[in-house]
This record gives sequence, C-alpha cells and structure tokens, in this order.
Amino acid sequence: MVAADFIEQLLNGLTLGMVYVLLAAGLSVIFGVMDVINFSHGELFALGAYFSLSIIAPFGAGTGFWIAIVVAPVVVGLIGAAIERTTVRPLYGRDPLYHILLTFGLVLVINDVIRLIWGTQQRQLAVPEYLSRPVSILGVQVSVYNYFMIVFAALLAVVTWYLLNRTKYGMIIRAGSQDREMVRNVGIDIDQYYTLVFGVGAALAAVAGIVLGGYQNVNTGMGNSVIIPAFVVVVLGGLGSFRGAVFGGLLVGVVQTLMRAYSGSVLATFGDTTLTVPNLEGLTVYLLMIAVLLVKPQGLFGTRGEESDGEGEILVGGYGGVLADSTRVRLGGIAVVALALAPIAILFMGDQYYLVVLNEILIWAIFALSLDIVMGYAGLVPLGHTMFYGVGAYTAALVMLHYSQSVFVVLLGAILICAVLAWVVGSLSIRVSGVYFAMITLAFAELLYSAVFKFDFTGGSDGLLGFEAFLGLGTVGESLSNIEFGLLGYELGQQFVFYYLALLIAVLSFLFARRMMNAPFGSVLQSIRESEERAEFIGYDVNRYKRRAFVISGGMAGLAGGLLAVSPSTVIISPDQTLNWIHSGEVIVIALFGGMGTLYGPMIGSGVFFGAEEFLSSYTDQWRLIIGTMFILFVLFVPRGIVSIPSLVAQRLETANNADGAVDMDEPEVRSDD
Amino acid sequence: MSSEGTSPDSSVGIDRSRRQFIAAAGAVGVLGLAGCQGGSTGGEEAVTVASLNPMTGPYSSLGPGQRTGAELAVAEINNNDDYDFEFELVTGDTETEAGAAQSEAQRVVQEEGAEFVFGAISSSVALGLNDFAAQSEHIYFPGGAAVPITGSACNEWVFRFETNTAQIAEAISAYSVNNLGNNVWFHYADYAYGDSVYNRTSRRMENASDDYTEVGTSTSELGASNYGSFITQISNSEADVVMLGMTGGDLVNFTNQAADQGLTNQMAVVGPTQTFQSVRAGTGSNSVGTFGGARYDPSLETGDNQAFVEAYASENDREPGNFARVGYDSIRLMAKGMNEAGSTEPGDVRDALEGGTFTTVLGDITLRESDHQATNPTWIAELVEGGSDSADVELLEQVPGSETLPPASDLGCEM
Amino acid sequence: MTETVLETDGLTKRFGKLTAVDDVSLSVSDGEFRSVIGPNGAGKTTTFNLITGALSPSEGVVRFKGEDITNVAPHERVGRGLGRSFQITNVFGGLTVRENVRLAAQSVYSDEINPGEALFRDKNGFEEIAEQTRTVLEQIGLQDRADEHAEALAYGDQRRLELGLVLATDPDLVMLDEPTAGMSSEETQATMNLIDEVLSDRSLMLIEHDIDLVMRVSDRITVLTRGEELASGTPEEIANNEDVRDAYLGGVRE
Repeated sequence: MVAADFIEQLLNGLTLGMVYVLLAAGLSVIFGVMDVINFSHGELFALGAYFSLSIIAPFGAGTGFWIAIVVAPVVVGLIGAAIERTTVRPLYGRDPLYHILLTFGLVLVINDVIRLIWGTQQRQLAVPEYLSRPVSILGVQVSVYNYFMIVFAALLAVVTWYLLNRTKYGMIIRAGSQDREMVRNVGIDIDQYYTLVFGVGAALAAVAGIVLGGYQNVNTGMGNSVIIPAFVVVVLGGLGSFRGAVFGGLLVGVVQTLMRAYSGSVLATFGDTTLTVPNLEGLTVYLLMIAVLLVKPQGLFGTRGEESDGEGEILVGGYGGVLADSTRVRLGGIAVVALALAPIAILFMGDQYYLVVLNEILIWAIFALSLDIVMGYAGLVPLGHTMFYGVGAYTAALVMLHYSQSVFVVLLGAILICAVLAWVVGSLSIRVSGVYFAMITLAFAELLYSAVFKFDFTGGSDGLLGFEAFLGLGTVGESLSNIEFGLLGYELGQQFVFYYLALLIAVLSFLFARRMMNAPFGSVLQSIRESEERAEFIGYDVNRYKRRAFVISGGMAGLAGGLLAVSPSTVIISPDQTLNWIHSGEVIVIALFGGMGTLYGPMIGSGVFFGAEEFLSSYTDQWRLIIGTMFILFVLFVPRGIVSIPSLVAQRLETANNADGAVDMDEPEVRSDD
Repeated sequence: MSSEGTSPDSSVGIDRSRRQFIAAAGAVGVLGLAGCQGGSTGGEEAVTVASLNPMTGPYSSLGPGQRTGAELAVAEINNNDDYDFEFELVTGDTETEAGAAQSEAQRVVQEEGAEFVFGAISSSVALGLNDFAAQSEHIYFPGGAAVPITGSACNEWVFRFETNTAQIAEAISAYSVNNLGNNVWFHYADYAYGDSVYNRTSRRMENASDDYTEVGTSTSELGASNYGSFITQISNSEADVVMLGMTGGDLVNFTNQAADQGLTNQMAVVGPTQTFQSVRAGTGSNSVGTFGGARYDPSLETGDNQAFVEAYASENDREPGNFARVGYDSIRLMAKGMNEAGSTEPGDVRDALEGGTFTTVLGDITLRESDHQATNPTWIAELVEGGSDSADVELLEQVPGSETLPPASDLGCEM
Repeated sequence: MTETVLETDGLTKRFGKLTAVDDVSLSVSDGEFRSVIGPNGAGKTTTFNLITGALSPSEGVVRFKGEDITNVAPHERVGRGLGRSFQITNVFGGLTVRENVRLAAQSVYSDEINPGEALFRDKNGFEEIAEQTRTVLEQIGLQDRADEHAEALAYGDQRRLELGLVLATDPDLVMLDEPTAGMSSEETQATMNLIDEVLSDRSLMLIEHDIDLVMRVSDRITVLTRGEELASGTPEEIANNEDVRDAYLGGVRE
C-alpha cells in the first residue's frame, strides 16, 4: 500500500514534470542558440490553451481535442516565428538584458490580447471522455489523463531529441547552442535557424499549454504561473541543454510533488518529540536551484562556459548625449523645483490623489536608481531586485509594529537589514556572472517570497497591517496622521508631509549616487562595466567592488521599500505587492526605459512609466497593450532610453540636413552595436 | 502583468469617465478634499459610489460578477423615485493585490470623491480597504468572506452583506458530518481563507456529532495547480468526506483532478464555494456529485430575489451568481441606509445601517450592531447533472440566518 | 642584475588528458628582457596565464620577488608589481583616455584611500594620482588626446594606451602578450620603440611568435615546445642551439 501510494505520487510528479519538459525544452534551446531570455514563453503557452478552446468548441471534445492538439501548436508556432522575425531579430548581438525588456513588453501585449478575445472567466478545456476517467493498475490509481500526458509528452520529447541529434538542421542548432562562434566560423549562417528555433519552441510551449489546460483549467494567469518554474528547470538543467531540460523538468516535477505529498508526515518519534518533514513546498526548488548554481554554475548538463565578456553590449543612456553637462544640471534643478511646487498646483486642483501617484513615482524612482548602480555601472543584472524592496517594506512595517515608529529609525532599519541581506546574497551570487547571476538572485527573491507566506510574524498571505509612522525621533515629533496644518486657507495633511520627505530622500539618494560615481569607488565600477578583465589586471578586486556596489544598491532599494511602508497611502504590506517577481521585472524595464547608466534616467523612467499607466488606464482598459507596445518600440528604436531622445533627434536632424541623396543606412541608435 | 496599476471599467453607460468627472468637479468649484458633494446632475443630488473589483489576477473570474451586480443596482436606484438622489458609479481594479487596491481606493475616494465603497474579494485586499475606510471615514462594504473582515479587523465604517466563512461553515459542517460521513479529511490552501475554513468547519463538526473523526489534513499553497499528490493521499485514507478550504482557480483545479482520479465517486467532496458559478463553469461535469455550501442561488424565493434575477437576466443574458448578488445588495443597502438616515453623509448613513433590518434578495436581514455582519441564511447543496455545460445546484437544506452567525465576540470583533 | 624577480618551479598545467605546460622552471632576473617563444600550441599563452594568475597551475610554484604567489589572486599580483598587457587591445572604450590612465594609477593608491574618500571624494582631487596620470600620459604621448573617448583612438594609439595602463600601475615586471600581433612591420617597429622608451627600466617578459624580433630585443630567450622548456639562453646561444634549430628554427629559417 505504501509502495503503491509512492508510485502514485511519482506518477503525479512525472505528469507535472513532463509539462515542464515541454516548456523548458523550447526556452532552453532558444536561450542557448540566441541568448534570448524569453519571458513571453509563458504567454505563448497560454495562447496554445486558448486557441484550443476555440478549436474544440465547434467540434466537441471527442474529435476537437485531437484537432486542437495539432492545429493550435502550429498556429502558435507561426506566431512565435512572426515575433522572432519582427521584434527579436533586430536585437541579436545586444546584451540579453534587452530581451527582458522586449519580452516583458510581449507578455503585456499577448496577455491583454487574450483577455480581450477570450475574457477573464476561467474555462474548462474539454478532454475526450475516455481520457478523463480513473484507472487502476496493480493497485495504483490515477487518471488515464496522467498516463496520456506522460506518454504524449515523452513522445514529443523523443521526436525533438531525434530532430536535434539525427538531422542536419538539428545538429547545427545544437552546435550553435554550445558555441555559436564556432558554427559561424565554419561558414554556417546560424542566424537563418533562429526563426525555426523560436517557432518550434513556441509550438512546444503551446502543446504544454493544451495538455496542462486539460488537466487543470484555462485562465489568464496560467502563463505567469509557469514561467518562473520553467526558468528554474532551464537553469537547473543547464542553459541551452535539451538533455538538461528533460532532466530538470522531471526533477522539479517530482521534487515539488513529493515535498507536497510528504510534508508534515512523521519521520520518527523520540519520546515526546516527533520529527516531521518540514513544509518546504515552494522553497525546495529554489534552494535546489541556488545550490546547483553555486556548485556548478552552468547547470547539471550545461556545456557552455560562462559567456565571454563583451558578448553583447549594454547601451547606457547618457553616453554621447548632445546636452552639455551644465544644461543637464540646470534641467535637473528645474525638475526638482517643479516637483517641489507640484503640491501647490495639486492644492489648487483640489485633488490629492495626484499626490498619491507622485509619491509612488518617487518611491519607484529611488528603487530604479538603486538598480542602476548595479546594472548600469557594475554591469550586474539582478532578476530578484524586488527582494530588497520587499524586505525593506516588511522590515519597516515590523519596526513600526514592534520597536519604534520614528521614521528615521524605521528607514535606517530597512536600509541596514537590506544591506546585510545584499551582502549575504551578493557574497554567494557574485561568483557567478551574467545570466547565472540574474537567475540566482531570482531564486533568492522567490525564496523570500515563498517564505513570507509561511511565517506568522510576516502575516502570511494577508501581510502586515496596523502600523503607523511618526515624524521625529524619541518623543520629539508628530504622528504622520496627526499632521495637518493650514496654508492659504487650505488644509494640508500627511500626504503633503510625506511627499516632501520622499522628494528630499529621492534628491539626496540621487546626489549620493552621483557623488559616488565621481569618486574613486564609482569610477572603478564604471571600469568594470567597460571591461571586467581589464579592471582586474590593473589591480582591482572586481568581485569585491561588485559586492560592495550590490550592498549599497540593496540598502537603497530597502530604503525605497521602507518609504513604501511609511507612506500614509500604505495601510497594508502584503507579499504580492512587494515581493512578487514581476516587480523585479518592472524595475529593470523602468531603468532601461529611462536610460541606464545615467542615474537620472531610471528616475525619469519611473515618472514616465507610472504617469503613462495612470493616464492610459483612465481612458482604456487595454492600457497594458499600449504600454507593452511602447516597450517593444523603445527597445527596437530607442534602446538607450528616454534620456537619449535629445541626441537621437539631433542626429536625425543632422542626417536630414546632410541627406542630399546619400542616406545614412546605419540606424544611429545602434551604431555601436555590431 | 503589471500589478501596481489601475483599470477602471469605462465601458458601461452609467460610468462617467474619470476625466469628465474631474471637469464636472472643477466646474462647480470643488476645492479642498474633493467632492463631499460630488458633481451635481439635474435636480437630484448625485452621490459617488465606488465598486473596486478584481478584474485581473487570480480572482478575475469573480470580479466581473460583483461589478455587474453593482451596476444593475445603480441603474435601478437612479430610475427609482423612492430615492431622491442619483448614484454615480466609479470603478477600479484591485488585481487581488493590496498595493494596487490601496492605490485604486485612494483614487476613487480622493480623486473621484467616493464616500461609499464596495468591493474586493481576497482577504488581504479587503483588510487593507477596511483600514483605509476607518482612516478616511467612509462607508465600505467588503466583498470578501474571510471572518476577520467583520471579526478581529472590524471597524465602525465597515458593513458586510457577503456571507462570511463562519456562516457557511455552520451550514455545511453539521450536514456533512451527520449525513455524508463521520470520517473527514481536510484539504486547504495555506492562507487566511483556507485556515479559516479549516478552523471553523472542524470545530463545528466536533460539536455536531460525537462520532466525528478527523482522519487527516493536507495543505497546498495558494495558486497551486497540481493536486494529484494530495488526491492520491486522500483517496488512500479512510475518509468518507473531504472538506476543501479553497476557492477560485484552486478549487477548480482540485475538483477537475479529483473527478479524473476517481475521488469524487469514492467519497463526498465538500467545498464551501463549490456552488459558485465560476467554479461550476471551470469544472463542467467534473463537479457533479460534489457538495457545497450555498450563499445564494437564483432559484431562491426569498425577499425580492425573483425580481432581481429577472432584471439581471434580461440585462446580461444569464442568471446572477453569488458575487452579483453581493454587489447588487451592497449598493442597495447603501441607498437604503441613506433613505433611512435622510442624509447622504457617511456618518449619518453609518448610524442608520448599524443594527438596521432591510429587505434584500435573501429576505429580511439585519446588519448586526455588534459587528455589522448581515445575518444571512445559508444552504448546503449538491451539484447535479445540468442542462448546459456546467452542473446545476440542488439545495438540500437551509440553515436560517439566526442560527448561522456566532456571537461577534466569538469572531473577535470589538467595536 | 643578479636578483631574481620572477621564478617558476615545476610549473605544470593539465586540461583533462592534455598537458599544456609541463614542468617549466624559469628564472627572470631583475631588469632583464626575457622572451618566451615557441610554435603554436607550445604552451606560451598558458604559461603567461599561469604567471599572471588568470589560470591556476595543476602543479608547481610561481615566485615573484621572492614570495610564493601561486595562490594569490590576479589583481593582487598586479598590486605587488606584476603588470600585464593584452594581446587584443583591451582598454575602457567608453571612458576618456585620461580616465583610463587615472584608473590604473588609482589602483596603486587604493590602499591609501579610506572608505569615506573612496565613496565621496572627487576622483580628480587626489594629487598623487593626478600627477602619476599626467606623467604616464606624457610618456605615451597621448596628453593632447586625453579627453577623447578611448574607443575613438586609432589602433596604434589604443596600443599606446594599453601600455600606458600597464605603466600607470607602476610594475616591476611587465608581461607582454604578443604586443605586435597583426601589425605591419612599421607598426611593429613603432611599438617596440615605444616599449623600449617607456618600459626599458623595468623587467620585461615577452611572449612572442616573431623570432626575428625576439632575437633583436631580448636579453635572454626561453624556447618552449609541446609545453616543455627546450632551451634557455642568450640570443646567440639560442641561435646556435642544435635542438632549437632542429625543433623550431630550422623549418622557419630555410
């Protein structure tokens, strides 16, 4: 009985694992061959399920399901190929970072299109009746559908393996995923295969969507819910390795399922104490991922070494700008004065809500600035930066609840705890570089996200409530909510006070960062961004500088999180609001959007992002579609971000003036790209 | 999927777009904290009410129901001469995420000037809005069912027409243990709602029968998608009944997989929200044979339910579900409170609502003075083969409102 | 000339089954210009990487100025006076020429800058570093182009800057990895002149392919084949060495 039970659980694990295999195979080969971190893979997966809903409807489950499982992946594959042709292709040779911005935009667009066409109601994907009944073999009882999923996905995996290993195209692709340069050197145009790889990857994801849709249900959040586990699988198995994707998928599926099934079960009893399996579901896979990355950064089956320096170029925003430094300083001054006067305008409009939006912008401006220190200067791309924002917010809330309400103590606490966290995470993560660093920080962030659900002191899924900040120290000062004063007959409340506090902190944070970048420490960071190897051989301990930058950045992100908790607009600090991975993606997108490596670019990015969101959402429900499209256009045409627009315009004008017939064919914004 | 954002639904005629509203507010010269009076239309006083619903995120299949119910109520109130004011409905998307919900709440209250707010489903969001209501002193009708909303986190500005988990637990616990089997397995999602179902139902079952045995418990994470391992575990136990502390997509996935793996034929599967329209839509025939608590059913003859069902069906081409019912009557209760108070000031309305008895689609209910919870009756139901794609609800037994609700002090409310 | 600046003892590096460097024991005296030559695959670059710390040896010891530096990190070897240049020009392209040199000069003074100054004091406000930067810019003749971005320089000037970076770290021994690779004979000559000009007062170790060049400039030459040391000696000794002629020079010279 125990054995049968275990086998049933194993079958459940394999069922889930096979879905991961289908998802990860495409994701992994796409990364291996093209260096594209494809966040939209999850939405292509969802698209497969939604298309099959529409295909099954007229035919009924009996035949419709089989038609759908053939037709829908083909359709999604074609969509994938079209996406590669139109949006991904122009970006090859750039740092994988730009694919994050691009595919993040694609996620917003595809998800909104799904909502528009199919609605938000969750739907059942009808499966032929003979597949959805239980079957008992040797006392092991699971659904026929489990066996179907395992066998069908295994067949597809074998076919894919055959194509990769036994056909000419496949061997080229496989060689390309291990060493692209070598393939180019033997005279094969590997770029020609990208569309094929992207299309097939999308089709495999679509199959996974249909198969899993039939097992669970079809809903708009399904893409988002699989993308992170899929990344874990890919990293565990080794980026670019098909074998790794298969092994990683099955491993994650089985480990997740067994942890779930046996958590809380008793291992042994000693007198009064019982030893039980701890409830670590959710944490396990991330712990596994961190462990593997630390021991074998290239993953269990990865053959690629760490990518060489200078594989792609990070385009910083301020470089080659047309505005003189003095003009920039003046513009910055004007911006600060305008922000300082904004509340007065808001007062006359009589609408304090704009202050809430401005507060959000300021908090995110600090958060994005903190990211720029590591991303734009030290060349580190953390995909888990929201862990500091979240931990800062939680720390601040906990300090207010249990220790002190003083704003200064609270913010200092948030900074210190996050700096310590950043030191620990940095010490472990900085030894791996590039995309592995991105993934290991993602794993840490997810670990913390899962952890806050488990503890009572963090308030579990509800989060923390009932805290209040006090503007002052000790007994000198005033509760934020008690602050109200009159000015010109208007009543000014806590929102105003907080706004000026946030503005002051944002300006100070910027000045601090700017000062630092003009001091010896910051100058070394910039040299690391330019050439890590060179920096090391003029005598700098590169890892130590990176780690210190990470600590400073983490502390500053913690400050942003602390401000979120202190803000009078915030009555609750909950996990999704602060620690969900999506915020790590958002802050990267905001920094890129504004212009990396400039410090002020990301801050402007925050203003434009939230401003646009606020503005668009008041006119249309499809604002995500518009913002997503905006990201895609930006990454294609304005890769250095908003701050590069003046120099782009200047170049265009110059080109127009000189264009007596000889049109400059080089896009000016990608000139240093190849 | 950004989560800090906002997405007001501007597609419905009775909504005024935000920009128009600002223009109106500006025109009549509203200064300071915007819009205690709101913009005025015609001769009647216009009162801004807000409906904040999860239109995206994990509960996006439930939010639209809330929204539609609220919209119908607003339309009826505006066409009804019994009310000498007009409702101006503004909407927002809570995204099932406290940050987005807070910023939406501030928008509707501070920018749109709403002082009567309805909405939210998840407990975290509702608790956040609870707190905000107390802070800015406006009326709030939460849509969530978690006990603490009118329990330990209750406050004088919060009134709940939604039936809470404690009430549903009363309805399903006694029936399950007495009629479906004594050996009960509990499977619940590891978050506030799941914990609360487990605590309530297990305690009630213990009181209801001496033969009750808790065979085992298992927990999954909120948003988990694969329940095969739990179902295997439960199926291999001695349980006659499995009680599910989960809702939304979690419950749909569990039910589908339970049917596939034969658990539904083997034992009674009971879920407090099993009868929800969205759950039935997501499970199809897989939910046939399961049991659920019912907070509402369109077939009810209570109160003015049939008029509501008719109006709703003619407007939307389908029957209302529980969330539409909550949206509809939460808005109507605001209006009835205003009539009772003879004022549209939140403070006056609050005093009128507190302890008041009103006619709703569930008959006459009282918003208890002690915790502002509506004394709704509840039902236990079985899901049976239906005419359409999804299963039908067959009500088995009613528990009257007076018996479902434990004293406020038991639920942790001190007001 | 008697003191030993660099010494390797039984230096060995294996990659799987392949032994790239096999029991190499070198000794470079203070002020010496040593060249290491050998055909492709002789283990020159691996030896270079073992000495600079880019690779760690499977066996053997590296001593620098009498101290065992086998397990010392590359950046710290630079700090102790072991500089290196790169075969492919590797400068900070997005920074100005002056900033390139200043960064190298700053690394020498890193220990004297306290944490507060490192974070907040203007990087251009350190007089010693600025002085060192000026001197080096003059030595490499790029003082007039100091405010241009390094990537805007012509190839030859970038090579000069490359050497300037090494020079600014004030090394006792400079490791040069084929500094004239891919150059025309005039460029080669110019580069060698530059090396002579700016680095002649330091110990040099040159990894080189071009035999003629090596014969002209070196004090002593070490010949590697298949990872092993074949011979060491003055240019004349090497030129007259039978083994070397058989194994290496013969084929090229005829």
